[in-house]
Amino acid sequence: MTSLYLYPLWLRVWHWANAVLFLALILSGVSMHYSGTDWLMPFATARVVHNTAGILLTIGWIGFVVANARTDNGRHYHLKLRGLIGQLIAQTRYYAYGIFRLEPHPFHVSETMKFNALQQLSYLGVMYGLMPVLILSGWAFLYSVYLPETLFGFGSLWVVAMTHTVVSYLLALFLLVHLYIITTGETVFANLLAMITGRHHEDDGPSTPRENP
Amino acid sequence: MPRRRRLHLTLLCLLALGTGSVPRFGAAAPEQRGDEVDAVLAAAAADRHACLRCHAMTTLAYRNPEDGAIVDLSIDRRGLSHSVHGNLACIDCHRRSYRRYPHPERPAPEEFDCIGCHRDDGDDLARDWGHIDAEFQRSVHAVSDDPGAAGFSCHSCHDPHRFRTAEVGEPVTQIVRDHNAVCLSCHEGLIAPHRGSHGWLPNRDAHWEAVRCVDCHTPGALHASHEILAAEESARNCVGCHSTDRTLLARLYQFQSEEDIARRGLIAKAVFNEAYVIGMSRDPVLDRLSLIILGLVFLLLTAHGIGRYLAHRAHGRA
Repeated sequence: MTSLYLYPLWLRVWHWANAVLFLALILSGVSMHYSGTDWLMPFATARVVHNTAGILLTIGWIGFVVANARTDNGRHYHLKLRGLIGQLIAQTRYYAYGIFRLEPHPFHVSETMKFNALQQLSYLGVMYGLMPVLILSGWAFLYSVYLPETLFGFGSLWVVAMTHTVVSYLLALFLLVHLYIITTGETVFANLLAMITGRHHEDDGPSTPRENP
Repeated sequence: MPRRRRLHLTLLCLLALGTGSVPRFGAAAPEQRGDEVDAVLAAAAADRHACLRCHAMTTLAYRNPEDGAIVDLSIDRRGLSHSVHGNLACIDCHRRSYRRYPHPERPAPEEFDCIGCHRDDGDDLARDWGHIDAEFQRSVHAVSDDPGAAGFSCHSCHDPHRFRTAEVGEPVTQIVRDHNAVCLSCHEGLIAPHRGSHGWLPNRDAHWEAVRCVDCHTPGALHASHEILAAEESARNCVGCHSTDRTLLARLYQFQSEEDIARRGLIAKAVFNEAYVIGMSRDPVLDRLSLIILGLVFLLLTAHGIGRYLAHRAHGRA
């Protein structure tokens, strides 16, 4: 059993702050979107909570991008195309079939690459694709008076509102899958504990770690 | 512009800005300027008080000997005090000949229009007054041959003794009622049940309670347009509002957003955003589809988890 220090303190603090903000944003966002339902937050509260959490999420995301650019953590987000398709197939086959046969995990975590191919693609898509779109559309919503009247032939406010809503649903979907996938480590809580302690415990299995370019 | 009025406006601007920056406004000390403003306001208040001694009487009126019509001369004291002109002296707008009583029998005819005083207020508006004038000149009120539209002016809709702008935080239904009351002051007959007006409009009464007349009877792209459209040119397309490009919601949101930024500033706007209109991010198809996908994924993950549990249990037994 190898113990790897994969999650430095700044990353864990950012991760859990992000988690709290995500929950606050989902709860307040749903409360605004479906306002009028009894069990949701009051509209006026939801509006302030959502905007405040959105501002903090923006600051957190900028911090994350800057930290990734300035520390070793950024290397986990460098996509290596060679062998990627094969790794994706192996990973998908494992989740769809191998995991029920208790086969060994096809990917072993290393200090140079902590994500399997599926994880890497989804985190890249979320952190560098969906998150900036979510954040930009959120700010565009607030300052829509400075936007042109139309975007792509539609009213710009509608484009902004729908973009924000679609990306929110996609990120809620990501959160749902993320919460489940973290239970597929060595034990159900192994990955959760790793994000608390910073240390990942890895069986010295036969599979090959993914190399980082 | 009369000199005295110009002085009033200048002093009121100073009061409104209230920065206390001595170099910016000359050598006068802030207290001195405050005293001057107070003196002007007090003089205006005294002037209004003198006029309202008679004109606040609700029954003050006379019969026009030429056409026999009753001419109402009463001013609602409360309405005036809450109006945008509530701090002005009456003689700022009305000729000085009205200063004395009895008033002259044949005073010179007066020509009031908003542009005459407000031409230079452009910075306070999204569009300047020249645009508003141009919009009005295109409006049905200006181009109609109908005798009822003869002599139509700003004051036909905007009673200068009552006019005030809607404020952020006022209930939207109240704003709608106040706006529509202006139109209905002339067009009330149109909405009488027996006229069958707007009969094509589904949920007609609900629309009348929640939508301003001008929302359909002005061109869609601008808010607060003064180009009132003729009935046949007005919006009749339901999809213009109830669709992907929901003009009305966008207009309401943009209007309140501008007010929000002007009132609270850019930073506070980011936190409070009072303009948000419930429903503007909703799309029934998108919502249903997204919730179905989320539900299916949840079921799939639950089934996956149960499968893993059963596999582990079977392995443990073996």
